[in-house]
Amino acid sequence: MNRSWDNILDKILPDNMLQAALARNDPATVELIWDRYAGDLLAYLQAVLCSRHDAEDVLQTVFVRIVRKRHRLAKARRLDAYVYRMARNEAFRLIGRRKKGRTIKAVNESWLIVPEGRHESNELAEQLQAALANLPQPQREVIVMKIYRQKTFLEISRLLGLSPNTIASRYRYGIERLRTLLGNIIS
Amino acid sequence: MNENTENKQIEDILRKAHLPEPSSELKERITAEAAKAWKQTSLELPWQIPVRRLLVSAAAAVFVIWLANSSSDYSLARWQPRRLQVEHQQFANLDTLTEIPYSPIVRQMVSTGRSSSITDASVLRSYAETMRNILDEAQQNGVSKPPAPVEGRSRLFPTQPGFNSYS
Repeated sequence: MNRSWDNILDKILPDNMLQAALARNDPATVELIWDRYAGDLLAYLQAVLCSRHDAEDVLQTVFVRIVRKRHRLAKARRLDAYVYRMARNEAFRLIGRRKKGRTIKAVNESWLIVPEGRHESNELAEQLQAALANLPQPQREVIVMKIYRQKTFLEISRLLGLSPNTIASRYRYGIERLRTLLGNIIS
Repeated sequence: MNENTENKQIEDILRKAHLPEPSSELKERITAEAAKAWKQTSLELPWQIPVRRLLVSAAAAVFVIWLANSSSDYSLARWQPRRLQVEHQQFANLDTLTEIPYSPIVRQMVSTGRSSSITDASVLRSYAETMRNILDEAQQNGVSKPPAPVEGRSRLFPTQPGFNSYS
């Protein structure tokens, strides 16, 4: 089969099947949605919130909302973009509540892992986290999705509803800024 | 050093780390919560959504109109201390109305008009015929000059040279 058809079948058919399952009111769909989106969404939420704990809480809220809004998701033009938008809204809701002081403060914890065996693992993880946390959130989410979830600019642009050029420029500016922030590691 | 090479280095450094995948405990917790939410919410049929929106819109429109009416009544209440009494006044006796010009003719026309109920073409035709006869008769007999208007009062009909102008 042609490679492009492979991509289309990989990316589109599962969403169509998920939407059909949602329309059938099949409770097993929750697990299918988890398998398809949980990893990407958790990474995205960690990029937005810079906290694994918060990202997990928001992910739970997102899944409950997905279930409650399943009739809308079943008819959504792009299921993936819809799910990402829900995740983004929930993340910003948490940030807003936190700014108003209505929830507990963010837990300072590591959300980036450097595999054991590397002697500088903890220090490197902390430096990378600090550098990423210093980036503006739009640049950080693009870098995380590109580097850690292997998404293309086109895929990210579709998920976030932005143009590929915007995504590419955010990535470029983010990397340039990281070059400054991580100058000591490079040298 | 070349900018692209430096960017490549940054990407390589970033790739040394990774983001952890969701744990199985997290999956259990979240799918259990989602399953609970699934049971609590029944799936709405697609047609129910626009119908419900329509009902809500209609109810909101009725409420707004009711509110506007209430507000209008309330704000105008002070200028309307009591309802206007509409009195239906009838001419009790045409003979007593001396100021009506051409009183014999008018009396005859009015009595003819009251007695006939115009419901179809034949009745209308006979009514018109009767009226024409009355007017012809009045013209042949010579119309008596109408009484001079009383000072400060108006007449029902303006002074006309005769009924010819209406025919």
